[in-house]
Amino acid sequence: MNRTMKSIIFATTLVIAVMAGAVPSVAEDVEKVFKFYCAQCHGESGDGKGINVTEDFPVTPRAFNNAAEMNKLTDADLRNVIHEGGPIASKSEMMPPWGKTLSDEDIDNLVIKLRALCQCKGKQG
Amino acid sequence: MKTFMSLITGLALTGFMAGNALADAAAGKAAFEANKCAECHYTQGPAQEKTIDDVWAKKGPELWYAGSKFNADWLGAWLADPKPIRLLAFNSLSDPNPGDHPKLAAGDAVSVKDFLMSLTAAEVEAGSVKAKKNPKGKLIFTKKMPCSGCHQYPDKSGNRGGKSGPSLVEAGLRLNPDWILAYLQHPAVFKPVKDMPNFVGILSDKDMINVSRHIASFKP
Repeated sequence: MNRTMKSIIFATTLVIAVMAGAVPSVAEDVEKVFKFYCAQCHGESGDGKGINVTEDFPVTPRAFNNAAEMNKLTDADLRNVIHEGGPIASKSEMMPPWGKTLSDEDIDNLVIKLRALCQCKGKQG
Repeated sequence: MKTFMSLITGLALTGFMAGNALADAAAGKAAFEANKCAECHYTQGPAQEKTIDDVWAKKGPELWYAGSKFNADWLGAWLADPKPIRLLAFNSLSDPNPGDHPKLAAGDAVSVKDFLMSLTAAEVEAGSVKAKKNPKGKLIFTKKMPCSGCHQYPDKSGNRGGKSGPSLVEAGLRLNPDWILAYLQHPAVFKPVKDMPNFVGILSDKDMINVSRHIASFKP
């Protein structure tokens, strides 16, 4: 297969993937990602007091500045919960799955951001 | 001969009505521009947002598929007497909606409604969703994929739910049920960058229909 043909196939695949609603491939700045996707429930400072946490909200979203709680989770736990939603780690369904929305790089960067907020390394897997 | 004449009359009437609709839409576009609606809303598809910054730069929602999204009667009434749809100001996670959307004069509201209703998206399939109370959709909405965490909705005890997303309390009056489904099925088409999860590959088409039916049943 020549190079032009490969390029055409790659471009076509990319277009089909984007049209199908696939994950964006370009990572965004993690501070923007956190503010845009996470802050609505977890708060802009990550204290778990986002604007959606009204009296109707059935659980308390994770406070990322709570080192004791955050230390109970491994980095893999955090990555899985962001990707698959709360139930993957027996946590609340109120945490939806973001794996079809965020790129893997975005999720990896968020894990680093969460560790900076808790100033903890987490349970070692 | 009588049948032939009826056919000719029918065709002429259809052509006349189509011509009127185009004229209405053109007048509405002029009213849309005269009222400076384009300062906050774009009407030319496809979606323009590629990054979070693109979304934050917007002053109001895109309207290039408004004719597929809204119910015409609701839209005309809302343009003449707008009430906040979002609890928060556009793109804010703290400021309440100031409720300062410009109110259009009655004639302009009708014209602009005609223009906006002429803007449609091919992805919206007419007749695919019927508004109906749907227990499976309700379970998805409130628990399985908790839409209720971000969207206000009507409940027996009053309006409940989160604040970051547009309120769905009057979704049954405001939204075309077919559009709700298309929005869930084609996120990259309608909102390529949005602070709501993509559910393609997570919810089945059947479940998307269930939740669309449930949302379309919301009336105050």
